[in-house]
Amino acid sequence: MPCQYEKPRFPRRWRTLLPRLVGLLLLQFFSPARGHTQTAAQEKPVPILSGTVGVLPGITAGQTLLDVQFNPVLLVPLGERWLLESRGEFEGEFQRAPGARSFGGPVNKHLDYLQADYIANPYLTVTAGRFLTPFGIFNERLYPMWIRALQPDPLILRIATATSDGAMLRGGFPVSVRATFNYAAYVSVPSVGLEGVESERHVGGRAGFFFPGPRLEVGGSWQKALQDTRKNSVGLHVAWQPREVPLSLHSEFVRSDQGSGYWIEGAYRLSQARFWEKAMRRTEVVARGQQYFGGNLGADAAQSLGLPGVNTREADFGMNYFLKDGLKSVVSYGRQFSSAGNFNQWTFGIAYRFLIPLGRESHQ
Amino acid sequence: MALSLPVLAGSSNRKEVLAGLPVVHSTDVDTMRTQGEQRFRTNCGRCHAAPQKFPPRAMATVLRHMRVRATITDQDMRLVLFYMTQ
Repeated sequence: MPCQYEKPRFPRRWRTLLPRLVGLLLLQFFSPARGHTQTAAQEKPVPILSGTVGVLPGITAGQTLLDVQFNPVLLVPLGERWLLESRGEFEGEFQRAPGARSFGGPVNKHLDYLQADYIANPYLTVTAGRFLTPFGIFNERLYPMWIRALQPDPLILRIATATSDGAMLRGGFPVSVRATFNYAAYVSVPSVGLEGVESERHVGGRAGFFFPGPRLEVGGSWQKALQDTRKNSVGLHVAWQPREVPLSLHSEFVRSDQGSGYWIEGAYRLSQARFWEKAMRRTEVVARGQQYFGGNLGADAAQSLGLPGVNTREADFGMNYFLKDGLKSVVSYGRQFSSAGNFNQWTFGIAYRFLIPLGRESHQ
Repeated sequence: MALSLPVLAGSSNRKEVLAGLPVVHSTDVDTMRTQGEQRFRTNCGRCHAAPQKFPPRAMATVLRHMRVRATITDQDMRLVLFYMTQ
């Protein structure tokens, strides 16, 4: 009896290859991760305009202040290895004059950095132009409003952090599976003499080790002024985010001719709270303790640099609530103790970080 | 013929099924994604809360900026970029 259905006449190798090919095509089509692999590798960086806007009313020593800040950041990548970056600072420090109903005051304009970075190899990046002085960690990394946990500056922030105009070598690379090394070495030439772009002549460097296991970074900074007193400044910094708890600790110590001091700050996310969980996940409480010891500068000279005129202690407490990515409301209370008088410092406000791509978001 | 199955993220059952096939790169991608997330939390969390993911081209610029600013390593930057562009 003849067979009712003929056996398909595909060659034998096609019978085995075809399902595999179809499967492979389906996998290619439904495999987003591979698509993203190619995307991540092939996407060309696009210029972006980012920055922070903040409105921070406050009461310092009984005086009501309105601090309004706008810090635009422009990033322009060029080719595979170059990055042009710049940040400006516009800060209005407004007060209400006696008897007046409105606030008024100066608006300070400042060019924080305007630098060209050349990524020479995995170990070295060369920077030229105006750059933030890498002394300690606050000035370079923690300064932006949307990053800092407490809005008032640390007392020692102005020590050895004057803006640099010159060149810098920096980089980071693993030295073992348990540690990475990061460094920066720089030289700054004298000020170009334009208002808002003052700098000073100095050389210095910073080096640190980061241990990814315990999430601990320790490092030190050094700077030698090449003008006036030609004194050295040294600093130490520590950053630690223990894995067990949502705590972030930062600390800096500095010793210099301009003064010495330290600050230590802890920020704790309430994400482990068992009540109001949604709100608690967005809430962070912060505390900072700090002390400043006057150096060889007179009180007036110290205050002109933004330092306290006398030995000072300060304790700050605050709370941040992250409304959404890049947008947070802040409140903090601090009390400063010194022979010049004790006073309270309240800060309220809101800080917003924006990011606008200046080009097509995808070149595909 | 070496059959390439680039990505099959997910369950252990699926991995068991694929265990007999010649080449499976899914573990590479899974590993990169996992490591990228770890490096992201470890490096970026040193200074700030985790931001949202931006468009890939913007993210590439941000990562180049952070490589310079935070002196993160080249390898960390690549893994974080991979994770943040998923």
